[in-house]
Amino acid sequence: MISFALDDDQRLLQDTVRRFCREVLREQMRRHEQQGGLLPEVEQAFAELGLIDLELDEGLPHRTAALVHEELAWGDPGAAVALWTPHLCAGALRELGTPEQQARLLARLRRGPDQRYGRGAVAYAEGGPGQGATVAVPTRGGYVLSGTKRFVLHAPQAELTIVFAQLDGGCQGMGAFAIAGRPAADPQGSFRLGQRHELLGLRAAPAGELVLQEHLVPEEDRLRGGDDFCAAARRVFARAQLLTAARQVGLARAAYELALSYTQDRRAFGKPVAHFQAVAFALAEVHMEVESARWLLWQAAAEADAGRLDLALCAGAAAHACEAAFCAADWCVQLLGGAGFMEDFPAEKWLREAKALALVGGTPQLYEQIVAAQVLGQDPEGNPEGAGLPSPRLQPFLT
Amino acid sequence: MIDFSLSPQQQIVREVAHQIAQTVLRPGSLQWDQQHRIPDEVLLQLSMLRGGFTQGEVPEEVGGEGEGVGAVPDRRHRSQANRIAVLGAEELAWGDASVLLSLPGPGLGGPPVRSMGTPEQRRRFFSVFQQPGLHYGAYALTEPGAGSDVAGIQTRCRKQGRYYLLSGRKCYITNGARADWVVVFATVDPALGRAGHRAFVVERGTPGFSVGKIERKMGLRASETAELIFEEARVPEENLLGGEEYYRGKEGFVGAMQTFDSTRPMVAAVGLGIARAAWEAARDFVRDHYLLSRPLPRYAQLAAQLAQDRRLLDAARLLCWRAAWMADEGLPNSKEASMAKAYAARVALRICAHAVDILGAHGLQTSQLVEKWYRDIKVFDIFEGTGQIQRIVISRRILREPPSF
Repeated sequence: MISFALDDDQRLLQDTVRRFCREVLREQMRRHEQQGGLLPEVEQAFAELGLIDLELDEGLPHRTAALVHEELAWGDPGAAVALWTPHLCAGALRELGTPEQQARLLARLRRGPDQRYGRGAVAYAEGGPGQGATVAVPTRGGYVLSGTKRFVLHAPQAELTIVFAQLDGGCQGMGAFAIAGRPAADPQGSFRLGQRHELLGLRAAPAGELVLQEHLVPEEDRLRGGDDFCAAARRVFARAQLLTAARQVGLARAAYELALSYTQDRRAFGKPVAHFQAVAFALAEVHMEVESARWLLWQAAAEADAGRLDLALCAGAAAHACEAAFCAADWCVQLLGGAGFMEDFPAEKWLREAKALALVGGTPQLYEQIVAAQVLGQDPEGNPEGAGLPSPRLQPFLT
Repeated sequence: MIDFSLSPQQQIVREVAHQIAQTVLRPGSLQWDQQHRIPDEVLLQLSMLRGGFTQGEVPEEVGGEGEGVGAVPDRRHRSQANRIAVLGAEELAWGDASVLLSLPGPGLGGPPVRSMGTPEQRRRFFSVFQQPGLHYGAYALTEPGAGSDVAGIQTRCRKQGRYYLLSGRKCYITNGARADWVVVFATVDPALGRAGHRAFVVERGTPGFSVGKIERKMGLRASETAELIFEEARVPEENLLGGEEYYRGKEGFVGAMQTFDSTRPMVAAVGLGIARAAWEAARDFVRDHYLLSRPLPRYAQLAAQLAQDRRLLDAARLLCWRAAWMADEGLPNSKEASMAKAYAARVALRICAHAVDILGAHGLQTSQLVEKWYRDIKVFDIFEGTGQIQRIVISRRILREPPSF
């Protein structure tokens, strides 16, 4: 039955998260960005909401997650990424891990004695052109991993990292491995931190390189993804796309609302600038983009909740939301004029972060390829097995 | 509960509409376009669709089908009429959009008679549709000098005894020449603006009322578009919609505009039906064409464009569903209706243009439906409020109201 109605629980949750965003995230936005991390009391306050426990226990339903992440990103996209300590790990473990692995490894992400949650990371992108892929070589009792992973969100503090590496055979030769424990700061460690990235946006969430130097992963930590690793891996990326879409919708709405209120207060030539048609039509255009992006996200999430996770719907929702967010943030800066360029308003931050979010976990170009693969019944790269998955050529461009 | 699956009734309507579109409408579409008319047998056969898929149906109180299948309540005990209308409209338009505008029934004239008319008027004007044969209602607002600026209409009405005398011209009236009656908007005094507006039901054969030229158009050629001429047309006072009372303290304009909240999402869905047809043709062409189905750079670009268009089509459809759902829930939806219309029209125009691009020379042949769809789609950014008017409606609402989500 076609319905856009939130149920009572969802409405309550939305209100709660919204209040937290208004009272906490918005207030600390610049501070979080400048110090490249969250204030402990903010992490604490978010923990009190219990959302992370829900995610770790059974996984937030996709529609609920869509609402929650839209709100968080409305508050502050950077903090939204940093606050979500399980990152993609919990979902990835559910798709790729056995029940035993899930039980054992998810414990790493739970609240510790210091009351803080363990951070999860997913290491996908490779060290860049010419550096080759991270490889996993089978050995007695496990695998030896070597290579450099870049753009890994949460890398410096991760208690659990899922590393994708090239094996022989399998889905384009890909395998997934869980590495428990923080990467070493010591330059001699076999699993260690590389360079920390200074980012265009999302600076509240630390990101860096991970270096694997003949690091041994025991057999029991290889995530085999049940019968079909390829399909399971695709679902992991589809979940990532839903998350991106939700964050972009939240960012887009924030930018739209600021532009809407600013242009009604700001007067020029004797009237509010919003009353000039060139401005009013731009606002109408942005509003349509934001709303349509939300409904696409909801549709993809509702299908996923009904057990029909549709790769093309998720990818389409992410592509559309990226476009909406960039459109909204760009117009927001534009309509604020000089003020939009200054750090006094969050407009410039949102414009940077709309771009950053469009590069995390996949790019709009990749999303279009996934949709195209479904539309045309084959992978545009000519690889039927890998339809919907980034080809090895594209991997350096992903985080 | 956020949900986008279809209820059993919605599912049935969509399937039946698709069957009809595929087996009856598609095969006749090109020929009807070339002949500028749809055969009466086809229209008679399709008249049974009323109540399933079209707005402005005949109310049950006069023995009509009412909201038909749309009256079956959903799980939230709401009518599904608007959602069913957009679903059915998209499917039928996928077959042929001109037919949809030519389905016998009250058409756009239905909503104002239903919402403004007295019980006696509703009985009188709707009962004609219960008689055998092809019967139409029509809606006449646009004039040579007043299109988007509806408040500026010049057609005058003047009371004389038990009659009103109407003078003026109406243009671009769908089904205007064959209609049994037309809802005509006129003004007692242009200086009064909207407050001076009155709506009349003018019946065929009224002295002083005649049909001018039948328009030749770029697209939707099988649909009849007529000019109507009023030369002191003698309209009985019983034909003033709602009676004199209705206009005291109320604005006739509001009646004229209310119609659009329910029709815009449906018109948007009609445009999407055409766009979906064009998109599918382009996709099939790319997939089946030998040269294009190789991984060449050109192919990657076409694939990305098809993917992008598919997503825009989905986004526009959801805006239509949203507006229709709000109408079914009884929520005010003018902004959403305008968003559906504005966005769908833009997306549909773009997709039809891409289909012509992709088919290349094939797309220009009048023997190809793609050529027809390209001509048909343009008017969707014009009728039922131009894209610019929709943006005015949207921006007025968003500037007046607090952010709605």
